[in-house]
Amino acid sequence: MREITFMDATLEALSEEMAQDPTIFVMGEGIGKRGGNFNSTTGLYDIHGQDRLCDTPISERGFTGLAAGAAMTGTRPVIDYMFIDFALDAVGEIINQIAKMQYMSSGRLKMPIVLRGCIGICHSAATHHSGNYSVMFSHFPGLRVVVPSNAYDAKGLLKASIRSDDPVLFMEPRSLLSQKAPVPEEEYVVEIGKANVARTGSDVTVVAIGNLVPETLKICEQLESEGISVEVVDPRTISPLDVETVLESVQNTGRLLIVDENFAPFGIGAEIAAQIADQAFDDLDAPIRRLNGLHTPTPYSPPLENTVVPQPDQIAQSIRDLVAE
Amino acid sequence: MALEVLIPRLGWNMEEGIFLGWLKNDGDSIAAGEPVFLIETDKATQEVEAIEGGVLRISPDAPEKGTTIPVGTLIGYVTKPGEDDPFDGKTAANVVRATPRSEPSVPARETIAQAQASTPQARQKVTPIAHSAHPRTRKKKRRTTISPRAHRVAKELGIDWSRIKGSGRTGRIIERDIRQEAATPPEDRGPQLGRTIPTSKMRRLTAERMATSHHSTAPVTLTTEADATELVELRKRLKITANQSGQGAPSYQDLFVRVVARALEEHPELNSTWKADAIVVHESVNIGIAVDTEHGLFVPVLRDAHRLGLEEIASRSRELIDRARNGSPRIEDLDGGTFTITNLGMHGIDAFTPIINPPECAILGLGRIVEKPAIVDGMIASRDMITLSLTFDHRLSDGAPAARFLDAIRVAVEDPES
Repeated sequence: MREITFMDATLEALSEEMAQDPTIFVMGEGIGKRGGNFNSTTGLYDIHGQDRLCDTPISERGFTGLAAGAAMTGTRPVIDYMFIDFALDAVGEIINQIAKMQYMSSGRLKMPIVLRGCIGICHSAATHHSGNYSVMFSHFPGLRVVVPSNAYDAKGLLKASIRSDDPVLFMEPRSLLSQKAPVPEEEYVVEIGKANVARTGSDVTVVAIGNLVPETLKICEQLESEGISVEVVDPRTISPLDVETVLESVQNTGRLLIVDENFAPFGIGAEIAAQIADQAFDDLDAPIRRLNGLHTPTPYSPPLENTVVPQPDQIAQSIRDLVAE
Repeated sequence: MALEVLIPRLGWNMEEGIFLGWLKNDGDSIAAGEPVFLIETDKATQEVEAIEGGVLRISPDAPEKGTTIPVGTLIGYVTKPGEDDPFDGKTAANVVRATPRSEPSVPARETIAQAQASTPQARQKVTPIAHSAHPRTRKKKRRTTISPRAHRVAKELGIDWSRIKGSGRTGRIIERDIRQEAATPPEDRGPQLGRTIPTSKMRRLTAERMATSHHSTAPVTLTTEADATELVELRKRLKITANQSGQGAPSYQDLFVRVVARALEEHPELNSTWKADAIVVHESVNIGIAVDTEHGLFVPVLRDAHRLGLEEIASRSRELIDRARNGSPRIEDLDGGTFTITNLGMHGIDAFTPIINPPECAILGLGRIVEKPAIVDGMIASRDMITLSLTFDHRLSDGAPAARFLDAIRVAVEDPES
């Protein structure tokens, strides 16, 4: 099978969906002629023109509100924030309008909006361009939050997100954009809300989020040679969270580690830990552990940047420690 | 210091570029801001400018025009005038770089240590919140802990986990320990904690008396074997008489009560009690008889046994034993003993070390009467033998008097009619 990058996979998804459905349009800064800061719309301007690839001024709240109105009238906007950090300027529109509109209209209005942008810490992008707000948006009812970890899932999930009548935050781990994976040429969709068991194992379940999925997979062979069999669960969707798949895994392994670049307090790990402790208490053979990024703004300095995010050797050590519990 | 010339990251997701050639030659003087080389990305062709001025040193293995080259590749240096060429004929791969870095687009001049060293003293100390999944250690020692999963599996497999040693980091019993225990044959398992029975008042009283005896006396046990053939003959005759008169025959125990009572009259130091700094030698011989009942151990007392005939001893002891077995002994039945006889002969025991019944001085243990080969008048003959075990309190009596007392009993047993 051919291998393409994460970013090319999402470009394909957008391109295919736009070709099929004329109500889809993209809005954002530099997504027109320029083709997007991360090549997220490269080539589409030439095909669909400025009405469907709508460059905006730096006015996130304005064009996000505009998307909400456009969605009410029957279109399917894709808002491209480049960095999800900039969605923070539109949080009022996202949470107070987009997330609530279907409820407020008793379901008469749909909100088929994709809000996309890069997340995560890498390449010394510093603290204004390293955010990861998946947890924050997952906290609110009415939004779906998707974090793919590879090109295959990215394409399938973006298609599902564009076709969803609910608003979806589509978050792209920036460090994975140029990572290649086998992606079939034929049509497929990855369902929102279904976790993927990225690797099967019997000793410990590691739930890894986004960019830490490939980082965790990297060290599994080494641990296997040490006699530790690791099962890796990639939730793919943060909201709704597929706890069932994690439960099934923990029923087998009895041990759970959640690795997430995000901050630990009130995070995905806390949520998963609480649900597993509640529903699988008698399956746990050890305490549930979390490995997270440091609770700090992201430093610019490369050595410091490395110290605030979990590194593969730290993930490996955390797994060894948990198995020794 | 020489400044590295690297393939820069010109877009967020740029991992490599196509090198399109140098705009300056090796050894040229260049000024800050002057274009140095050309690179093509997936978006555009771009001139890369010098960050600082100096002398351009091009790597001997610098990329050819048109090659695709990863971001961060070292292709040259900008040196200060007079500074040596860092390559000096070496290829880029062989140059010892001043600051090896993982992130090429950003000069990392400061190490973490340097950054920390330059931190103002007044800066607040920050404790990282839940960055790592390191295990925490509890200081306080706790009772046995078991993981919920191990607990569930133990229940499923019917394993008693209370004595299992946990292999978890903190000694916690984990699933593996239970499965191992289940795979071990029951006879190879460690001791199991049995069921707990609440103690009765009787049991507690017995426990207290036995412990007191053991702690406060200086017990010595003497044993001897007596030829009880004559005693057995005597009992046979008594039985026949008793059957004729329709009464119960005296038991061996009754016969011993009479023997012991008489011996105590002659050896009063064994019929005594330790009291403060004095030894009280009792006038009367009150013999306790240890009786095993379903309610516990009772020791009803035959008062003035030295004054009683055999039939009286038999009838009184029968009454006392009956009341004890019914669980309704009178207080006076159990009070005032000066010596105790305990009998394990019916259970096949020969010798044992009875525990003194405080505040008495001694206790006689009766073994079973059993036929054994013995030497009589230089010939081997079959005789009924019994082992007698006397425990006495060495505080009240020395070994020799106690031995004389026991020997007197032996003699009396061997010639019961005297």
